[in-house]
Amino acid sequence: MNSRRDALKALGGALAALAASPFTSGLAWAAERLTIIGHAVHKAAATTGAGGDVTAAWRAKQGTDIEWLTFGVEAANERAFKEASLADGNADIVFILDRYTGPQYAGLFEDLRPWQAKDPIPDFAEIPAGMVAAHTFGGKLTAIPFRHATHGLHYNTEFFAEKGVSAPPRTIEEAVALAEKLTYKRADGVQVYGLVMNFDDPATPIDWIRGFGGDFITSDYKIVIDQPAAVRGVAALVDLYKKGVLPKNSMNLKTEDVTTFMQQGRGAMTNNPFNRYINYNDPKASKYPGKIAVVALPLAIDGKPMPAKTSVWAMAIPRNSRNKERAWSLVKYLSQPDSTVAETLNGNGPVRPSAYEDAKVKALIPYAAAEKQALGSARLVVPGFANSAKAMDIFIEELGNAMLGTKDPQTAMSDVKKRVQPLLPA
Amino acid sequence: MAASLARLNGAAPVHHARRVGDRRTARAVHYAMLCPTLLLLLAFLVIPAIYVGWLSFNTSTYGQDVKFVGVANYAQLFADPIFWRAFCNTFFVVNGIVYAELLLGLGLALLLSGPLPGKALIIAVILAPYAITESSGIVMWRYMFEPDVGMVSQFLGRLGLAQLDWSTNPVQTLLLASTIAIWHHLPFTFLILYAALTTVPRDLLEAAEIDGATRWQQFRFITLRLIMPAILIAVLFRYIFAIRTFAEVWLLTEGGPARLSEVLAIYLYREMFKYHQFGMASATGLFMLVMSLVIALPYLRRMYREVMRGA
Repeated sequence: MNSRRDALKALGGALAALAASPFTSGLAWAAERLTIIGHAVHKAAATTGAGGDVTAAWRAKQGTDIEWLTFGVEAANERAFKEASLADGNADIVFILDRYTGPQYAGLFEDLRPWQAKDPIPDFAEIPAGMVAAHTFGGKLTAIPFRHATHGLHYNTEFFAEKGVSAPPRTIEEAVALAEKLTYKRADGVQVYGLVMNFDDPATPIDWIRGFGGDFITSDYKIVIDQPAAVRGVAALVDLYKKGVLPKNSMNLKTEDVTTFMQQGRGAMTNNPFNRYINYNDPKASKYPGKIAVVALPLAIDGKPMPAKTSVWAMAIPRNSRNKERAWSLVKYLSQPDSTVAETLNGNGPVRPSAYEDAKVKALIPYAAAEKQALGSARLVVPGFANSAKAMDIFIEELGNAMLGTKDPQTAMSDVKKRVQPLLPA
Repeated sequence: MAASLARLNGAAPVHHARRVGDRRTARAVHYAMLCPTLLLLLAFLVIPAIYVGWLSFNTSTYGQDVKFVGVANYAQLFADPIFWRAFCNTFFVVNGIVYAELLLGLGLALLLSGPLPGKALIIAVILAPYAITESSGIVMWRYMFEPDVGMVSQFLGRLGLAQLDWSTNPVQTLLLASTIAIWHHLPFTFLILYAALTTVPRDLLEAAEIDGATRWQQFRFITLRLIMPAILIAVLFRYIFAIRTFAEVWLLTEGGPARLSEVLAIYLYREMFKYHQFGMASATGLFMLVMSLVIALPYLRRMYREVMRGA
C-alpha cells in the first residue's frame, strides 16, 4: 500500500512540476505570440534604428510577443505561400513582394477590405493607389503596403573626383558616357567598373531599358520588349558589357554582390534601392564610408524623369492564421502615419509620402527628397500575374544570350516576346 | 518417402517438425524486426513517391485546386529545350564526376595500400573535404576563383595565364562544378576502395608473383577481380548521388549564364520553388528517378551475378 501511495504522490508531484515548468508556461505564452514571416529588412524597419522599436508599444498594450522568421527575398515569399496553404498555419502575418504574388495566390490570404471597413487604418487613402493595386486581385485586397524599394543612382564621389567629374549624370546618355569614363584601373591596381548591376532578376536592367523609352510588360499586359526603344536599351547594356564597363561576371551578380562591389570600391555607379545608401556607406563594411552618394535616376531619353523601378512589400494575413484579430491590429498599427515615420527613420521606404516631410526624416535621411522625387514616376518591374516569375526568368535568360553574343539584341527580345506571350493572362 | 521412414524410426518426425517450426518462428521474428524499417521506408519513400507520381499527371500550385491533365506535364517537359539542355549537362557532369572519382579514388587507394611514409597524414588530407559542409566548401571555391579578386584568379594572372572563365562560359562552369564535386566526394569512393584493397590476400599476390605474373597482371587478374564488387557499389552509389547534383552549380551560377549550365536538379528546383508548378516539378523528379533506375540496373545486375557466383 505504501509503495502505491508513494507512487501516487510522486505522480502528483511530477504533474505539479510539469504545470509549473517552462515547457507548459511556454505553451501558454505561445498562445499570445504572433508569428511574422518576412525579410530581415522588415524586422529592422519595425524594430531597429533611429526610429526605435515601433512594435514595443503595441506589444506592451496587447501583451503579445512577436516571433520574426526572416529569409531571403525569394525564400520569404516561398515560405509565406507554403505556410498559408497549409490546413493549419503557423504564420499570422506574411510579407509579400509584388512581383512574386499574383491572382492565383489571392485565395490564400484574408480579403482585408472587411477588416479595413470594421477597424480602419487611419488615413489609408494616403497610401498611393498604385501600391495598393499591386496587391489587389479581382477587387480583393490581399495585403497592406508596408515598404517600397525604389531605385536611385548611387555613385562613388571619390572616383568621380579622380576622373574630374563634378556631378552625377543628368541624362541617360550622360550616364552611359560617364560609365565608360569611370571604368579604369586605379593607382593601387584595383579595377573600377563604371557601372555595376545585378542580373538575378529584371529589376536593375529594366531601369536602363525604361531610360531608353522601352519597357518589358505594360500594366495592361502588353509585351513591348521587342519594340525598338526597348531593344535600344538592351543594345546599350550589351555594348557596355562588351566594352568591359560592366564586370565580366555581371550575369552572375546578385544584390549582395553589387553591395560588395560598391563597398570595396570596385564599382563607380549602380542603380539600386535608395536605402542601400546605408549599406554602401556603412563604416564597418565599406572602404568608402560617406563617399557614396545617391540621387534620382537621370532623365530618360525623352527628357522626362526616368521611371525608376519600385517594388512594394505588403503585409498579408494568411486565411489559416489563428490570430487574425491580433494580426490585423498589428498591421493597422504598423501602417498608421506615426509608425510609418518611425519605420522610415529605421531605413524603410515609406508607403506614405507625408513621411518624407517629417523634420526628423529630413534631417536623418539624406536621400529623402530624392527618393520622394523618384517615387513620383516609379513603376513596378512587371504587373502581377500567375506566371510572372517564369516571365522574368525568360527575360533574364534572353538578356544573357544577348550579352554573351549568342543572339543579337533584337532576336533575343523577339524570343522573349514569343516565349512570354503564352504566359500572360488572356 | 522420407516422411514414412521417419515415422518408422519414431524420433525423426519430431526433429523435422521442430526444425520446420523453428524456421517459421525465425521468419516471423525477422519480419517483426524489419517492420520499423519497412514502415519508415513506406512512409518516407514509397508513399511520397506514389504521391509525386500522381501529382505529375496534375497541375498544382499554392492556393489552387489540383487538376488532372494526363500526360500534359510530360509533353511540356519533353518539348522544353532547356530541359534537354539540363539533361545533357547532367549526363556529362555525372559521368565525368563518377569516373574521375573512380580513377582518382582507385589510384590513391592503390598508392596507399602499400608501404608509404606519412600514410596516415595523406589519408587524413584525402578525407578532410568530407568534414566540410558542402555549401561552405563550394562558396570557398567560388571565392578562390572569383574573377579579378579570387586568390587563384590572381595567382593565374601573375603567372600570365588566363583566368578560369566560369562565370560566363557554361563549359567552364560545369568543369569547375565537377571539380568541386570530385574534391568533396572523393573520400567516399576512396574509402570503399581502400577498404576493399586491404582485404585482398597477400599470399595470393605472392603466389602469382612466384608464378611469374607481372605487377599489371597481378592487378588485372587478382586485385581488380577481387575488389570488383566494391567498385560496383562505389560507382552505383555515386551515380545515384551525382544525378542529384545541385549545390555545386547553384552556388556558382544558379545554372547561368542564360541557363546554359543548368542541371536537372536546378530545373526541378525552379519549377518547384520559383514557379510553384508542382505538377511539372513532379514530372521532372519522376524522370530523374527513372534515369537513376536505368543507370543503376546494369550495375545491380552485375552485382547480383557477382554475389550469386560467390554463393
